[in-house]
Amino acid sequence: MLLFTLRRFNLFLFTMVLLTILSFSLSFLFPGEQITNISGKINASPESIELIALHYGKHESILSQYWIYLNHLFKGDWGLSMTSQLPILDEIYNHLPATIELTISALFIAMIVGIPIGFIAAINHRKKSDDLILSFAMIGYSIPIFWLGLLAILIFSIQLGWLPSAGQISLLYEIKQITGIQFIDILLSDSPYKWQAFQDASSHILLPSCVVALAPATIFIRLARTSMLNVLETHYIKAAMAKGLTFRQIIYRHAIRNAMVNVIRDVGLQFANLVTLAMVTEVIFSWPGIGRWLIESIYQRDYTAIQGGLLALSCFIFLVHIFTDFVYATLNPLAREKNRGSR
Amino acid sequence: MARDNIYQEEEFPSPLVQLWFYFRQSPVVKVGFGCFIFLCLLAIFSPFISPYSPIENHLDSILLPPAWDDNGDVSYLLGTDNLGRDMLSRLIQGTSLTFGLSFIVVIISLVIGVVIGSLAALTKGMKSSFLNHFLDVILSIPSLLMAIVIVAILGPGLSNTLWAIVIVLIPQFIHITRNAVEEEFNKDYVLASRLDGANSLRILYYSIFPNIVEKLISQATLAQSAAILDIATLGFLGLGAPIPMPEWGAMLANGIDLFYIAPWTVYLPGLAILFSVVATNLVGEGMRHALKARKEN
Amino acid sequence: MNLLDIRNLSIKLLSAQTPILAVDRVSLTMKEGEVRGLVGESGSGKSLLAQAIVGVLDDKWQVDADRFHWRGIDLMRLSIDERKAIISKDVAMIFQEPMACLDPTTTIGEQLEEAVADDQLTGYFWQKKQQRTLAAANLLHKVGIKHHEVCIKSYPHQLTEALCQRVMIAMALARRPLLLIADEPTAAMESTNQGQIFRLLASLNQLKNMSILLISHDLENVTHWTNTITVMYSGQFVEAGTTQHIFNQPYHPYTRALVDSSPKANMQIPKKSRLMTLPGSIPILQHLPIGCRLGPRCPKAQKACVEAPKVKNYHGHQVSCHYSLKGSY
Repeated sequence: MLLFTLRRFNLFLFTMVLLTILSFSLSFLFPGEQITNISGKINASPESIELIALHYGKHESILSQYWIYLNHLFKGDWGLSMTSQLPILDEIYNHLPATIELTISALFIAMIVGIPIGFIAAINHRKKSDDLILSFAMIGYSIPIFWLGLLAILIFSIQLGWLPSAGQISLLYEIKQITGIQFIDILLSDSPYKWQAFQDASSHILLPSCVVALAPATIFIRLARTSMLNVLETHYIKAAMAKGLTFRQIIYRHAIRNAMVNVIRDVGLQFANLVTLAMVTEVIFSWPGIGRWLIESIYQRDYTAIQGGLLALSCFIFLVHIFTDFVYATLNPLAREKNRGSR
Repeated sequence: MARDNIYQEEEFPSPLVQLWFYFRQSPVVKVGFGCFIFLCLLAIFSPFISPYSPIENHLDSILLPPAWDDNGDVSYLLGTDNLGRDMLSRLIQGTSLTFGLSFIVVIISLVIGVVIGSLAALTKGMKSSFLNHFLDVILSIPSLLMAIVIVAILGPGLSNTLWAIVIVLIPQFIHITRNAVEEEFNKDYVLASRLDGANSLRILYYSIFPNIVEKLISQATLAQSAAILDIATLGFLGLGAPIPMPEWGAMLANGIDLFYIAPWTVYLPGLAILFSVVATNLVGEGMRHALKARKEN
Repeated sequence: MNLLDIRNLSIKLLSAQTPILAVDRVSLTMKEGEVRGLVGESGSGKSLLAQAIVGVLDDKWQVDADRFHWRGIDLMRLSIDERKAIISKDVAMIFQEPMACLDPTTTIGEQLEEAVADDQLTGYFWQKKQQRTLAAANLLHKVGIKHHEVCIKSYPHQLTEALCQRVMIAMALARRPLLLIADEPTAAMESTNQGQIFRLLASLNQLKNMSILLISHDLENVTHWTNTITVMYSGQFVEAGTTQHIFNQPYHPYTRALVDSSPKANMQIPKKSRLMTLPGSIPILQHLPIGCRLGPRCPKAQKACVEAPKVKNYHGHQVSCHYSLKGSY
């Protein structure tokens, strides 16, 4: 397990190096002056530009420029947003938690709904219910997310009036930002309307997270189904049957665990996809997350924001990725030891 | 089984014929394949069959509902939008933009991805491990974010978004080609061919590609459904096709403000996207199913 | 009384366009305390037959039989659940590739413990957990694994094939079965380990009077460990009798060929001559010959062989051939 952890840590370092190189080189690739792109200071006088250039080591070799850039990142100086002239790190701190909240809740919904349905489909293989679930899944991951979001707003917010259609929480509640994650903040706050605020926040998150969750849920259905089908064909299930266990015992004790292992391995990969969906959903539901912020930045040609956002969002995704890897390793004894070999 | 052939010789159909045989088995897949072909034809011949020009304004008939509505007009079968443009013509022409371009995008990234992927499979050691990690990193960046970054570099516009999607799709193809080639390389028939003195390129071309081509095609259908959704999403966000172009995503974005007065301007493009993605996915699903059935028998 | 009495059991494969008769009217009887070998080439349906007895075939396969008695109980008349209850209580099975038959994500201990039936435990539910652990350790001792602590904590991939097979046998013993079906238990094992497993099975047979149905493709190897042998070819019954009879005086041309195909120390054959083999190869399932399936390859085949022969019984030595070699001895 120690080796496994070390390997993951190694991979994380490597990824960070790559991502920072990518984000550093973006400042050259984006239109405009590199120095402006990296610092975000627009409308600076020639003298101050010269000062910033000195600050970022513009006159030194490209390697030391990168090194200086890394130092800046570590010190928390990610540049200024070109539109608001606020520090990027503050902006990310304001926006990323909302996205984390949305994506994690969507991931949970997708897993809790998708995986059991997939298992049910596999157990009823070649029956009507299997076909029904499969065709539902097919439509689910074919629906364009923005269209689905619009339809959901139309039906649930406007026609039925059940759920609010925009924002993270009603403006009536004043919640001080402590961790940035709305639900934790509400629980930490000493407002007398804590529970009302909590209810309000949950009703706000329900619709967007369900919209985000639909496509990943259908993918989990398919993953869980294939994985369960493969497990049910293995010898150890047959051996367990010969051992005299009932079908229910076999499913609960052996099949689900082994099938879960294969599904969990792919959760990390699906997460990047889920974030893409969340970005679009944030635009539609006016969710104050980093996705909406990034899409707005591109309308305004805010290149510093795009660099910072890319770095922060990919970091987050990669952390989730590594986390699922750990879950996978704890569930699967084979994965823990395989790493001694070359593959 | 009655056969007129009394001799023992068996006729073994070629792998592709077998694949086609299993592919045809399911009626749902056949319908999907029909829709796919229909969309392809529509994309090619769209300028000739659309009744009106997609950007021509008919100012006397603005926001007409579809013909089956009481207020509809049969000369505008699917109604018109806020500038009096015929929805049917826009949808038909949109096929060649959203669906047709996604096809081209996939083919370009397939070719690039397969070349890089098979070269990568031939390398070993440090380089290969570096590439592996590099791909992991690229794949962990959300495709939309990647597309946004590329659009930010190149500037908005339809052709730039297409290049962005090509670049986003390439890593997937590299990844799958590399894995498939490496898997085949470990098999004994490749070893036999290597013992005969074949060099790596020859093995790649004669032994491995025929065995992985179906896998690539099935990945390509997946990639195409992703590409359709990506093009439409970028269009919807206003980063892709410019406004007058009848790209489905952009049409949908155009219709949002009119959602309550003219819901068909939102329903129809959405349905068109859904239809094309479902057709593509059905073809891909049928392909994977046929591959599996062929492998089992 | 016979332990197991099966008459004319057929297994059909339904998934193909035309149903394929993979096992064609095979009969099998087992006495208490008997070790019977079930011999046939790969693809002769012997594994299928064993899986049909235990009832683990999936719904692609359709099983029919004229008679299926277990200790005098007619299993054909019982409902599926009742049949399963009886079979899983008294019959255990071990498979080839023991490694693949153990759940890779669960420890050996847990898998052993769940094989221990509830009715073997006495006492209250809080004592049961401990009793199960004890029972698991005992089972491992029975199959000759002394260091049960290590074994119980391991995952299947951490053990060798032979150890896994011992664990499988231990699991099979957990229910104290009357019949153990061993489906090529030593395939893909080194010969020293093979010997160990066979000796273990033989001692279990002698100490606990457990019947064993030993499935193998190697006639010569099986003769060392069995009392009686049943031979199958391509899903059809060929011959059954005591090991001595089968090995020394086979009545069926196929068994004759099997015996002759292996070299023996005292064999008088000229130098550099070939061992006896049958021409041709095993037919594929899609194109089985009609009648006796050995027909096209059989040196004795005549016109009558296009009809499947009836089983003839000579003092307990059963053979299914129109032109048996009985007269030649």
